[in-house]
Amino acid sequence: MPQVRIIAKNFMDMVASLPAMKLDRLYHNSFICEAILRSLPPLAKKYVLQMIYMEGPFPAKSLEEWVLADGFSKHKVAIDRLIQLRVFMETTERKKETSYRINPTFQSNLQKHLTSGGVLPREPMPSNITVRLPSLEELDAYALEQWECFLLQLINSSQAEKLTNFSSSMIRVFQRGLLSQRDNKDAPRLTESGFQFLLMDTNAQLWYIIREYISNSEERGVDPADLISFLLELSFHIMGEAYNMNTLNEIQRTAIKDLADLGLIKLQQGRKESWFIPTKLATNLSVSLTDSSTRKQGFVVVETNFRMYAYSTSKLHCEILRLFSRIEYQLPNLIVGAITKESLYTAFENGITAEQIIGFLQQNAHPRVAERIPSVPENVTDQIRLWESDLNRVEMTLAHLYDEFPSRDVFDAACDYAREWGGLLWEDSKKMRLVVKAEIHMQMREFLRGQKQ
Amino acid sequence: MASVPSKLYSDDVSLVVVLVDTNPFFWATSSLSFSQFLSHVLAFLNSILLLNQLNQVVVIATGHNSCDYVYDSSSASHHGVENRTIPALYSVLLQKMEEFLIKDEKLGKQESPGMIASSLLSGSLSLALCYIQRLFRTGPLHPQPRILCLQGSSDGPEQYVAIMNSIFSAQRSMVPIDSCYVGAHNSAFLQQASYITGGVYVKPQHLDGLFQYLVTVFATDLHCRSSLQLPRPAGVDFRASCFCHKTTIDMGYVCSVCLSIFCKHHKKCSTCGSVFGQAQADNSAVSDRKRKAPET
Amino acid sequence: MASEKVTRRVKYKTSVKDPGTPGRLLLSMEKLIFRSNSQNSASKLDMEFRFIKNHKYTKEGSNKAPMLNLTSSQGVSYIFEFESYGDLQVCKEFVGKALSKPGDTPKLKDTLEAPSEQPSTQDLLLRMTLLQENSELQKLHKEFVSNGVLTEDEFWASRKKLLDGVSSRKSKQRVGLKSVMLSEQATFDSRTKRVTYSLTPEVVREIFAEKPAIHRAYLKLVPNKMADKDFWTKLCRALYLQREKNINVLAAEAAEDEELALFLKPDEILACETRHKIRCVDPTLNMEADQGDDYTHLPDHGIVRDGGKEVSESQSEPYRRTLFQDLNRHSAVVLEGTTVDEEHLKDTHSVAEALARSRQADKEADANKERFNRPQLMELEDLQPPKDHPLAALCIKDPRDYFDSQQSSAYKTSRDASIGMEPMKCNLSTQEAYGSLRDSIAEIKASGLMDPIVAPEVAVKVFSVLTHNISSSRYHLGKNPRESILDRLPASIKEELLHHWVSIQELLRHYWSSYPITTSYLYSKVTRLKDAMSKIDAQLQELKESLQSDLRHQVTLLIRPMQQALEAAMQHYDADLQKRSAKSGERPNGYV
Repeated sequence: MPQVRIIAKNFMDMVASLPAMKLDRLYHNSFICEAILRSLPPLAKKYVLQMIYMEGPFPAKSLEEWVLADGFSKHKVAIDRLIQLRVFMETTERKKETSYRINPTFQSNLQKHLTSGGVLPREPMPSNITVRLPSLEELDAYALEQWECFLLQLINSSQAEKLTNFSSSMIRVFQRGLLSQRDNKDAPRLTESGFQFLLMDTNAQLWYIIREYISNSEERGVDPADLISFLLELSFHIMGEAYNMNTLNEIQRTAIKDLADLGLIKLQQGRKESWFIPTKLATNLSVSLTDSSTRKQGFVVVETNFRMYAYSTSKLHCEILRLFSRIEYQLPNLIVGAITKESLYTAFENGITAEQIIGFLQQNAHPRVAERIPSVPENVTDQIRLWESDLNRVEMTLAHLYDEFPSRDVFDAACDYAREWGGLLWEDSKKMRLVVKAEIHMQMREFLRGQKQ
Repeated sequence: MASVPSKLYSDDVSLVVVLVDTNPFFWATSSLSFSQFLSHVLAFLNSILLLNQLNQVVVIATGHNSCDYVYDSSSASHHGVENRTIPALYSVLLQKMEEFLIKDEKLGKQESPGMIASSLLSGSLSLALCYIQRLFRTGPLHPQPRILCLQGSSDGPEQYVAIMNSIFSAQRSMVPIDSCYVGAHNSAFLQQASYITGGVYVKPQHLDGLFQYLVTVFATDLHCRSSLQLPRPAGVDFRASCFCHKTTIDMGYVCSVCLSIFCKHHKKCSTCGSVFGQAQADNSAVSDRKRKAPET
Repeated sequence: MASEKVTRRVKYKTSVKDPGTPGRLLLSMEKLIFRSNSQNSASKLDMEFRFIKNHKYTKEGSNKAPMLNLTSSQGVSYIFEFESYGDLQVCKEFVGKALSKPGDTPKLKDTLEAPSEQPSTQDLLLRMTLLQENSELQKLHKEFVSNGVLTEDEFWASRKKLLDGVSSRKSKQRVGLKSVMLSEQATFDSRTKRVTYSLTPEVVREIFAEKPAIHRAYLKLVPNKMADKDFWTKLCRALYLQREKNINVLAAEAAEDEELALFLKPDEILACETRHKIRCVDPTLNMEADQGDDYTHLPDHGIVRDGGKEVSESQSEPYRRTLFQDLNRHSAVVLEGTTVDEEHLKDTHSVAEALARSRQADKEADANKERFNRPQLMELEDLQPPKDHPLAALCIKDPRDYFDSQQSSAYKTSRDASIGMEPMKCNLSTQEAYGSLRDSIAEIKASGLMDPIVAPEVAVKVFSVLTHNISSSRYHLGKNPRESILDRLPASIKEELLHHWVSIQELLRHYWSSYPITTSYLYSKVTRLKDAMSKIDAQLQELKESLQSDLRHQVTLLIRPMQQALEAAMQHYDADLQKRSAKSGERPNGYV
C-alpha cells in the first residue's frame, strides 16, 4: 500500500514543484497571481505587497532589519516559500550580498489589480436569460449535500443514497490510501490516513481530493497546469452567479462535470444555453490554501460520564462518530452517543489510534467547551488511552525457533551468541530450544554452521 | 512598556476600519491633493482585500461637521454601479463619499473662513468602535479588527474628552489604533491614541509615496506584528486639554473626585459638581493644585 | 522626668552563650539604642519599644550574670549583660515602664502631633513586611521617616490601600456546621429507660436553623408563656415521639397539648419556602433545580417514597415526616453554613434572636436578588455564548513608566520645538473648499487611479527611509525595542534620577494634601516638607552640574518637569506665607 501523506496545505507544494517554465506561464494569469498571493504565509504577503512598486533588486538585509528576534523563523519560512514559488528571485551580487527581485509578470499583474480592481474572470450571464437561479442558502445546502454524498460514497459505497457520476476507477483513485481492502470479499476498511482524512475540515478534504484529481490528470491526457489554473480561476467567480458554459474550453468543460459532482459548482440547463453556478466550495478554494483555513466551528461536547453530544445535522458526522462510539439516538440537530469499550475496540481494530480519536474530539469541541481546559474531560481521554494500551499487551516480533541441538555446548554457545546480538527472545534449556529475532537469523545460521564444523 | 497586553493572533484575517479625513479646509491647504490622497488610499484598501479573501475593510469619512460610514466591503454589492474606468469598489466608495460631502456641507454653519478647522475625529472613532463591538458579538470567529486613522487636520482640543474616552475604550477592547498623519505637524491626539492602544503612529515625510507607507507599515496584520518591528515614535505628547476652555495645558488643576482637568481654579467641578476648597473659601489661591494627573 | 533617659554600660549578646559585645545601652521612653564601644564593630542596635513583646531578667542571687532579655514581636531575643544587679534593676524598671504603655511615644509638643490612631501590632508587622519586600518603599521610608520629614503615620496614611490589599488576603473563615443529625445526638439509657437530649448552644442553633417553625414558636412563647426549660422538655418529648414513630400516642398527646402540636405539625415555613422555590423553577426543561429538593411532603408533588408501608391512618398524616425530608433540610442548613457567629452561642435565647436577625437580612438580600433575576430564565450554561467579550484589564501604570515616556516626550518636544498649535490658514470659503473636494472625487471617477500609484524611485526611497528609521532606532536603542531615552543614560544617573523623582512624588503628594492649612500640625508638616523639597532641588541642580556636557543636555530636559513641579510648590508656599503673615497682623501669632 503506498503511504500517502495527508497534509492539507501541500497543494501549493504541488504548484511549486511545477517546472519553472510552466510556473512562469501560470503567472500570466492574474487570478493565479492573486490566488498564490493569498496562499502565502502572512509575512510573505506583506513582503510582496511592499515590493509591489519597487523595481530592481533590493538587498535582503533591508528586509531583515524589520524582523524581530523571535520572528526570524517565520521570516525564513516566508522567504523560502516566495523563492520556491518563483515570486522572488534570489540573486547574489558581486559584493556577496543576497538580494531579491520580484517576478515582473507577477508584479505587473498585481499592480494592474490594484489600479483597476479585481476584474472578473468572465462576465456573469444577464438575469433575463437565466431562470430560477438558486438562492445562496439553497446553493450552500446543495454544495454540502453533494460533498457529503461524495464522501459517503468514498468511505462506504453502500451507505450513499445516490451515487455520483464518477467512474468507479476514478473513485478508486480517490480511495487510494484512504481505504484498504484485504481481499475482494471483505468490505474495504478505513486506513489510518483515511480516518485522518475524515477528521480534516471540508476545505482541506477538498484540496486533498483535488490534488488526487490533478495528479491523476496526466493519465487522462490533461495538463495539470491547465487544471490548476482553471481551478484557481474558478475560485474568483462570484458565488451564486450564473456563467455561460460556452466560455469554457474543452478541457474545462470535462473538468466542470467532475467538479459538479463534488459540489463545487451547480449546473443548470436553460432553453438554449447551459450555465454553471459556483458554490461556496469553489469560491473558498483559494481561501483554504492559507493557514487560516482552520476557522471552523466545533460541535462535539464530551461529558465526564463518557456521553457525547454532537450538535450536527450531518450524516457524515454521524458516520464519523459511529467509527468510535455507540450512537444512541439522533435528534434533528443533535447526535447523542456514548464512548464505550466495545465501540473503541472496533475503532482500534480498524486501525484508528486513541490519539486520533482524542485529537478529533478536541479539535471539534463545541465552542462552549473548547474554551475549557481540557476541552475533553481528562478521565475520558485517559480511559481511551488505557483501553488502547490494553490491546497492545501482546507484542508481535518476527522470530525463528531453533531446536534439536546436537549438544548442550552448541546450545549454550548459540544462546550466548544470540544474547550478544541482543536477539534472544526465549530459551528452554531442558528441551534445548530457543527463539531468536528474525533480524539476526542470518547471523545465527552462519554461527551455527561454523559450530558444526 | 507595552500598553496593550499581547494577545496571540492565530491568523491574519483582519478587519481594517479606515477613518479618512475629508475636512475640506485641510485639503485646501495641503500639499497633497485630495485626489492623489484618494488614489493612494483606494489602492491600499484594495490591497488589504487582496491579501485574504476574508479580509474586511470599512471606510468612515471624518468630515468637518459630521462623519459617516462610506464603505463596507462585507455588505457592498458590486452590482448596479456600471463604470468602465474604475472598478466597482472604488466607484461605490467615491459615490458614497460625494454624497457624504454634500450632506456635510449642508450641516455646516456659515463660519468665517480662515478659522482653525479640525475634523470630527471623536465621532468617527466612536463609529469605528461601535462597528467593531458589533463584530465582536457575532461570535468567536471574527476577523482581527484594527483602526487606521488617516488624518490631516489639526487636533480639535474641544474634542479632547470624547477622543480620550474612545481611545480608552479601544484599549479596553484590545483594538489597536494606527495613525498616519498627513498634516503639517504632529497630532498629539493620534500619538496618544496609537501609544495607548499599541498601534503605530507614522507621519510620512514623502507624501507622494503615501501608498508605500501605507503598504509597508499599516498593511501589517496583527499576526505579523509579533514578528516585525514597526516604526516607533521617539516621543509622545501626553499633554491634556482642560475641560473648561479646551486648551492644551502643561500644568493644571485636577478634580480630586472625577479627575476632570481645569486650567484655572474653580469653586465647583463642572463635571461632577464637587465643591472645592470649602475650608478656605476666602482664599482662592489655597486649593488643591496638583501636578497633572497621568492619563494612563 | 528624671527617668527620661537611662544609659548603662552593657554587653550585648544575641544568645546566652555569646561572649557579647561591650558597649553602651541607651534607653529612652520610645526606643533603646545600643552602641558598641569599638568603632569598627558592626553590632549596633536601634529598636523601638513597641516592637518589643516582652522582657525577662535574671533574678538576683541566682548565680547568673545580671542579664536582661528582650524579645521582639518577631521572636528575636536581645540579651544585655549588665555590670551589676543595680544597673539591671534600673533598666528593668525603665523597660517595664516603657513597655507598659506600648507605642505611646513621648509627645514632643502635644499640639504638633497629628491625632492618630495607634496602629495595631498586626499593622506594624504588615508594614515591616511591606518594607522588606519592597526595596524602593524601604528607601523612601528610610529617607523621609528616619530623617523626620514625615512621621510614620503620615507615611503610611497615603498607603492605606497597600496595607488593606495585604490584609484582605487573609479573610476570616466561617465556621461550618457539623453534619451529624440531631436525632443521632440523643443518648438512650436502657437501664433507666430514659432518653437524654443534651442541648448545647450549637444544638440549639441547629434546631432553630433546621426547623424555622420551632424557632418562631420559641420567639413567641419564651419567656412570656412558658419557661425556657419547659419549652425544651416539650420539644424533646415531641422529637422522641416522632423518632419512635409512635404516631398514635403522638396524635393523642397533640390533641391535648396545643404547644406540643405546634412542634409536630408540618413546618409551614418550610413548605412555604419550598413552594417559593418551585415557583422559581423555569418551566422549560431543567433538571438542575429539583435535583436537590424533595417535594414529597407537599400535596401533588413527587412520589410518596416510603410506599404504603408507613401510610397509616389519615389523621396521623400531619405528624408523619419522612427521613428524607429531615435529611434534606439538615443538609440544606449545613450547606448554608453558619449564620450565627460563635460569640452569640451563649444561651438559647440569644441564639434565637441572632438567628432571627440573620434570617431577616437574608430575606432582604433574597428579595433584592429576585427583583433583578426574575425576567431571566434559567439557561443551559454550556451552550450559551459568553456574555462579555475579552477586555484588556484596566491598568493603572506604575508612575515610573509614565515618567519615562513623559520625559522622553519632553526631550522630543524640545527638539522639534513647534508642535501642533499653529493655526492653519485657509483662504477658501466653505463653499469653495467643499467644491474642490468634490472636484477631486470627480477627477478620480473620470480618470481612475494614478498609474503607477507610486513611482518606483519614490517607493524605494520611502522604503529605505523607513528601513533606516527602524535600523537606526534599533542601533540607538540597543536590543530592547522598548528602551527609551532614560536607558541611554549611565545606570547610576538613571537610578538617581528615578529615585529623586519618586521622592519628589512622595513629597508633593504629602505637600499638596496638607493644604489648606487648618491646623498648626499641618503647618509644621508643610514646613518640613518644604525644606526637604528645597534640599532635593539643590541635589538636582548639583547632579546636573556634575555631568559632562553631552549628558547634561538630556538630563536637564529630564529634570525640568521635576523642577517645575517643585517650583510651583515653593511658589505656593511663599504666596501662602505672605497671605498668612498679612493676616497675622489682625491675629497676632496666628494659630501657629
